[in-house]
Amino acid sequence: MSNRVNPDLKKELRKFGEGDWNDCFNCGNCTAICSLTEKDILFPRKEIRAIQMGLKNKLASSVGPWLCYYCGECSETCPRDANPGELMMAVRRYLTKIYDWTGLAGLFYRSKLALFIGFLLVLIAVIAVGYVKGFETEALMEFGHLFEQYVILALFTLIILPNIFHMFWLTIVKQKVKAPVFSYITGFWHLIWNMFTQNRSLKCETGSFRWLEHFLIVIGYLLLLFTTVFLNWFSTENNFIIWLGYIVCGLVFVFTFDFIIDRLRKKREVTKFSHHSDWLFVIWLFLLGLTAFIVRLFVDTNLIDNNLWLYMIHLIVIAQWGILLVPFGKWTHFLYRSFAIYFANLKKSALKREGKL
Amino acid sequence: MGENERTGIFFCINLNGNEDVVDIFKIAKNAEKKPNVSVVWYSSDISLSDTKKFASEIKNLKRLIIAGYKTGTVKSFLTEAMVIAGKNPENILMADFNEYGANTKADTEKAKAVVECAILGVPFEAASVPGETSVCTETLVIGGGIAGIQASLEIANGNQKVYLLERTGTIGGHMAMFDKTFPTLDCAACILTPKMVEVGQHPNIELMTYCEVKSVEGEPGNYKVRILKKAKRVDISRCIACGICSEKCPGKAVSEFDAGTTLRKAIYIPFPQAVPNKYLIDADNCIYVQSGKCGICVKVCMVDSCINLDEKDEEVEITVGNIIVATGFKVFDAKKIERFGYGKFPNVITSLELERLVNAAGPTGGNICFRTRDKKGNWIFSDDNEKPKSFALIHCIGSRDENYNKYCSRVCCMYSLKLAHLIKEKLPDSDVFEYYIDMRAFGKGYEEFYERIKEEGVNIIRGKTAKIEEKNGQLLLRTEDVINDRLIEQKVDMVVLAVGLEPREDTSEMAEMLGISRSDDGWFLEANSICDPVGTYTGGITIAGVCQGPKDIPDTIAQSSEAASHVLKSIINGKIRKSIKDLSYDKIVSNAKEFSK
Repeated sequence: MSNRVNPDLKKELRKFGEGDWNDCFNCGNCTAICSLTEKDILFPRKEIRAIQMGLKNKLASSVGPWLCYYCGECSETCPRDANPGELMMAVRRYLTKIYDWTGLAGLFYRSKLALFIGFLLVLIAVIAVGYVKGFETEALMEFGHLFEQYVILALFTLIILPNIFHMFWLTIVKQKVKAPVFSYITGFWHLIWNMFTQNRSLKCETGSFRWLEHFLIVIGYLLLLFTTVFLNWFSTENNFIIWLGYIVCGLVFVFTFDFIIDRLRKKREVTKFSHHSDWLFVIWLFLLGLTAFIVRLFVDTNLIDNNLWLYMIHLIVIAQWGILLVPFGKWTHFLYRSFAIYFANLKKSALKREGKL
Repeated sequence: MGENERTGIFFCINLNGNEDVVDIFKIAKNAEKKPNVSVVWYSSDISLSDTKKFASEIKNLKRLIIAGYKTGTVKSFLTEAMVIAGKNPENILMADFNEYGANTKADTEKAKAVVECAILGVPFEAASVPGETSVCTETLVIGGGIAGIQASLEIANGNQKVYLLERTGTIGGHMAMFDKTFPTLDCAACILTPKMVEVGQHPNIELMTYCEVKSVEGEPGNYKVRILKKAKRVDISRCIACGICSEKCPGKAVSEFDAGTTLRKAIYIPFPQAVPNKYLIDADNCIYVQSGKCGICVKVCMVDSCINLDEKDEEVEITVGNIIVATGFKVFDAKKIERFGYGKFPNVITSLELERLVNAAGPTGGNICFRTRDKKGNWIFSDDNEKPKSFALIHCIGSRDENYNKYCSRVCCMYSLKLAHLIKEKLPDSDVFEYYIDMRAFGKGYEEFYERIKEEGVNIIRGKTAKIEEKNGQLLLRTEDVINDRLIEQKVDMVVLAVGLEPREDTSEMAEMLGISRSDDGWFLEANSICDPVGTYTGGITIAGVCQGPKDIPDTIAQSSEAASHVLKSIINGKIRKSIKDLSYDKIVSNAKEFSK
């Protein structure tokens, strides 16, 4: 496909975030001030240019937006107040929509109503399941446990893997990037390492505390997933697992609470504009940690049988999170970011092979 | 009035958070009462995307008035609506408050008159012609830079008396500091100093250096101006400018004329070609004035009772008919942008500092040297070091930047090219890089000059440098080359920041004293930016040069001569226009009614 000019691209992007891309006069300050740009990986100006020119294909094939961790320095120093940092955020949302074959990510980013209906349907479904199971604690907890496993399996095979492959298709295959085979293998370890640590963000101006908070939430969340799904935290008798579960739950809701406060204060560049997807992400993650914590507390104090509503809430939160927010919301950024680094490295080794670097 | 004359008024309340504006709702209520006004809208209530809906609302109207602020922003919308409604779009009248200088709450009556004139269908300009009054033939020019010099000479050569007031000890202003002028590379001093000397010797010019305006009272044609004559402590009628006092003086201060690159004495002459070419004492740095102990200059002075260290400031009052304001500018303080490291890295310098460096009469005798520390820790340009081999000039420092000044300072592109040329001329083996956003070579011969500089081997790169760091004794610049899509990390020996122009700190005091306005960007506001760039809304007060907005020397000269022609016109006619702002609402409306008959 050629790079056709699409004049509506600007309008479409405006639905994904706040900002006026027309303000930019292409001075390149944003690219040069960023601590993460490298000789052959330039953003955000190139993306802004693509939007100004309406080059949809160019935008869809770029990995730059995923490499940005939104420290906000570009927006602070932008001579045109064009807010390139927020634009990167908007492009990340837009790319999530592009990669997603179901079309739901785009719908949920653009329409609060659709998202609300989705949340409502899941809520009704969970209550219906509760009704079918006769609102019995044990049966429901067993159902919940199985549900989590199936959802994870289904999400990965049906949505996340195809979407990542789509991303690979757009950024590497269609761009005719010919990277040497060994770079696919060597880059893989880098990919895993980046996925869990996101350590590139340490280069940013925001400092290491924000990275640490972020890291602890990721680790806390993954361990929570592991303890509940694979170690069956709610039903286990093993003291070590019980305590581990409490700790990781605590990590998740304490730090997400701090993130929520940060977004309310709007002091830093990154928290000045909050899209509804940002709010849902932090609030649901917070609720996830908090409800899981309280459910286990009620199990330990034998109060759960008389307070089944509590588990129902947890189940609703988890179902909404798992079915709607994980595959179609901000959660996927965690994967796309890591794969973007992987693909960027492939591009780099391809350039090296051609002797262009 | 019949059904066909029905008028609708669309009020634009686009205020950008500004509170001190005219009371639009009061004006709207007043306008609504007029017999032929049938409907009033506010821009805040109307959706500017639905033209069809609005077209249906104006079906019964004959005329449409757009009043308020930023009226131009809705004109296309309303024109479209008029066309859809089958009306003649020529029946849209503009009543922009800003255009007629009704900017603050105090101007509400004026804005009311603007709307009323539009309702009557009379151009506001026609109804608001102020009356005339007799004029005093003497003129005051405030500011002794090239603008003030040019205006004074024009008037004085027209055989009229001029007071030329200058705050510092010499006339000449910024132009005297420059080495060459673009695009012809003429020596700036060779153009300026003959004019300075002419001013100094002109029988019609009373030169008042080291003076400041204290107050301005009276009315157009007859202004009483109180002037503070700061004590020079040297009798300039006796001083023979031998310089021995300065040689022996122990008091030191930073030299304003050398843009802070060198020190001068407390008793000093600003620069060798100063007019008047006499010494003066800077009281803030004079040891005698500060502590009462010293007086060496008096002892060494060869002329009797020439230096009087106890001289006091005095005030004089003059009466003038016209005032030309030519107060110029200050350069942007590069320290405000920390990421460029000005004030932190010694070899990040401003364009004005380089201007002094390349000047043969400058601190290094025209040699471009590294800046180092002397034994006392002061930064100095020392001549005995090796010369810098690579230079980067960064454009748009403090200009075209929403965080500092939004406007383009207009001169930086050209003076940067000129400085690049001068560097290449002095150090032919050096590498010079220019980082620009857009190259604005707009004047006569400027584009050709730009081409010439490119041919001279200066590397001109499109992209704004984002930050400067020090690495191994060199300066590391990070820039995106926007045209070639690459990131440049360039190491150079010296960085020159092309600082923009800013209104002086006392611009608002000055504006208040003279009763003139300032535009959004802080410069003095002209009566009309297209047809009357030197006039103001206050009678008898004209503005010239950069104080009206950034401009280069040729434009400054042109504007100053225009200001002088305004003054001469009023003197020749013996009459001067009163201030528009003195016209009352009733007077304007009765004029308009007269006119519409």
